[in-house]
Amino acid sequence: MHVIDRHVYANRGRGVDPAHKAALVLLVLALCLLLDRPMVGLLACAWMWVLSSLWAGLPTGVFGRVLLAQGSFLVLAVAGVALSAGTAFPAGVSWVVHVGPLAVWASFGSVDTALHLATRALGGTAALDFLVLTTPLVDIVELLRRLRIPSVLIDIVALTYRFIFILLESLDRMHNAQDSRLGYSSFGNAVKSAGLLGSRLFVDSYQRSKRLQIALDSRGYSGDLQGLTPSYRTDRSLWWLGAAATATLLIGRVLI
Amino acid sequence: MNPGRIIARLGRIGWATLALALLTAQVAWAGSTGTRMHIMEGFLPPFWALLWFAIALPFWILGLRRVRQLVAENPEARLLLAFAGAFTFVLSALKMPSVTGSSSHPTGTGLGAILFGPTVMSILGGIVLLFQALLLAHGGLTTLGANTVSMGIVGPLVAWAVWSGMRHWAPTWLAIFLAAALADLLTYVTTSLQLALAYPDPTGGVAASFLKFAAIFAVTQVPLAISEGILTVLIFNALRSTAPAELKSLKVTEA
Repeated sequence: MHVIDRHVYANRGRGVDPAHKAALVLLVLALCLLLDRPMVGLLACAWMWVLSSLWAGLPTGVFGRVLLAQGSFLVLAVAGVALSAGTAFPAGVSWVVHVGPLAVWASFGSVDTALHLATRALGGTAALDFLVLTTPLVDIVELLRRLRIPSVLIDIVALTYRFIFILLESLDRMHNAQDSRLGYSSFGNAVKSAGLLGSRLFVDSYQRSKRLQIALDSRGYSGDLQGLTPSYRTDRSLWWLGAAATATLLIGRVLI
Repeated sequence: MNPGRIIARLGRIGWATLALALLTAQVAWAGSTGTRMHIMEGFLPPFWALLWFAIALPFWILGLRRVRQLVAENPEARLLLAFAGAFTFVLSALKMPSVTGSSSHPTGTGLGAILFGPTVMSILGGIVLLFQALLLAHGGLTTLGANTVSMGIVGPLVAWAVWSGMRHWAPTWLAIFLAAALADLLTYVTTSLQLALAYPDPTGGVAASFLKFAAIFAVTQVPLAISEGILTVLIFNALRSTAPAELKSLKVTEA
């Protein structure tokens, strides 16, 4: 999380209007979902990798690591689609293995579905990760404001974002304190410490919200949090790159 | 016993061992990467992605109405809700000792529903999921509807139903444990169902596919539900002894 957070504020695409980046990402997402061909997913993944490392100047390894974060879900769920299990397997399966009384099998059709699924999810995730790595939440909140999301929700989202980091810091400090006093030396201790940590974190959150309320009240808070609108720049090259990516995906769909 | 049958039996034992080894490796691996049961971006076909958004929408509207009401009654609620969202998010980043030995992450929605009520959790759950997608790259935007239904609606509703149904006659620890553990369990059952509906088994249909997904994820999610239940009981006990005033003002405990 801190890796993502460090890069998202320090990449070259940071100052570009979040609406343009989000539009590109949503377009690629929609293409991945609607065209639904393995080639399209792989091309989208490659394009997003190139955009984030060449256009936004992120280290190439970072994008790969963020993409891998969802790997465990992908592997488990794709295995679930590709494989079937039962006591008896139907005719016409291409691969079968017996595990005790159970038969585990895969057919050509199910492997094909799994392949479609894996590449589509990979393309979609890559598109999302591009947004995750180039657009800080502050800009997303600004985007939500332009989309006329109710202001109560926007306030809660913006405050939640700030509070997450405050609480993570408390969590870190408390965890270190417990750890240095052998709080996690055995399973029993670890369970006890985790329970204490969770409860103190709640009390900490509650009291901080009270203190912040007092601080805001004493500064004339009337129920709305006002902030300056940040100024963004428009990057023409992103439009050209986006158009090129769209064209590649469409060609990928037609050819393969 | 003839040699052929011995070889066949050895082969079967071999497969069983391999399956067991894979299972253990899977648990260790899932633990190290911290599996969150969120459907990832691009995993649901457009139809199902839209359908789950449509199902989540009325709950979001109800939740929004409740949030507006809370804020109108009491301006402090705005900050408290934001802290509740952050608390749920950070709780899900808490490494929890799990029964299988590896560490896992609680969902925190059971505790949230007990403390803040189930209607608010559809909004808070949605916000937490948005943050997990945008800050941790877990889950996704097109699957936000489906994930909200499992984590922000079904889980909290189950927790709330169990808690309010049991709190007056059962021991508190049991009510809390079952509320949190069942919320976690049903969140994962809902996710398995969502996957099964979108990808039915070619021979056995939705039911077979559901059993398949449920079995695959049970390996990580059942121990997780149990440890989340235990953790929630411990948190709640600690809260009752150290923060009775806060619990009372949230109307969780009487007097």
